[in-house]
Amino acid sequence: MVIEDAEDSAPTYKGVVLTLAGIRLGGRRLLPFALFTVPFGIAFGVAAIESGLSSFQAILMSLATFSGAAQFATLDFWTEPLAFGSLAMVVLALNARHTIMGAALAPWINQLPLSRRALVLGYLSDPNFADSQPAFQNGERDIGILLGGGLVLWACWVAGTAIGALGGAELGDPTTFGIDVVMPCFFAAVIAGQPRQVEMIAPILVASAVAVPMLDVLPTGWNVVLAALVGGMVGTLYHAK
Amino acid sequence: MPSELSAVAAIIMIAAITFASRIAGPLLMTNIIISPRIERFLNALSVSVIAALVASIVAQNGLREGAAVGLAAFIMLGSKSAVWAMVSGMALAAAWALFFH
Repeated sequence: MVIEDAEDSAPTYKGVVLTLAGIRLGGRRLLPFALFTVPFGIAFGVAAIESGLSSFQAILMSLATFSGAAQFATLDFWTEPLAFGSLAMVVLALNARHTIMGAALAPWINQLPLSRRALVLGYLSDPNFADSQPAFQNGERDIGILLGGGLVLWACWVAGTAIGALGGAELGDPTTFGIDVVMPCFFAAVIAGQPRQVEMIAPILVASAVAVPMLDVLPTGWNVVLAALVGGMVGTLYHAK
Repeated sequence: MPSELSAVAAIIMIAAITFASRIAGPLLMTNIIISPRIERFLNALSVSVIAALVASIVAQNGLREGAAVGLAAFIMLGSKSAVWAMVSGMALAAAWALFFH
């Protein structure tokens, strides 16, 4: 019993580093995917101008926020006078999943000094989390892959926003090329490719089964947080042999 | 249209809340010792948050998105290539839009 427990608790999070080579590797890993975020950035830039933001404000928001879902949602609240309270609530809801992702990365991230933690986490988003977390679990110890992926995504998001805000280009219908499904398809691939598939079947099913009906009950964003927490708890029920 | 000052103030607030959401997770975990049970929780949490995102996106869209996501997962299981999975899903979604619109 005791020995099994000790073996089970063997995961070491030692040797975590943040290197330029890792940042470059992360950037290369996510570049093909990140290029597909440019059209989303353009769409945001166009929508922001339509909602009354100046092109400077639209680009500033993408530079400083780097959160597609939250940024699109704020446009619905872009009125005169600005409803700061509503804005804060909707941004909090749509970003709460970052806290979940950060907690999941904590075993590795927290090995870094505080300032580097803040730097890396500033570029945390869904795709680079989905790409890096399984890699860390498989023994990767360079946090640079998370930061590098984030930087490439951020650069594409800001570039797209600038094109949309300054050029105001109408893209046509993204459904024509299937660009609109790139995000869920990438996430589905990450789920299908993750290690320990059998253990994860129950959490995946439960999280999905919670997230969908809760869409109508909870404000958008919180359904994902609740589903993730319930899925996580289901995961603790499984005892590795 | 909001004034320049209040617009920039709002953007700073939005960015600050977003940044806080990003750093909060590891800060909350600072003093928690990663036991095997916590590790299982965090691993399942990671997969669950992505699964919940996909399920929400598919539920808010429809069959076309669902079929694309299903194909992407299937191709990933067979090929272990995320790029092929993504391209297949997009191709199916594009073809669907072509034939059913």
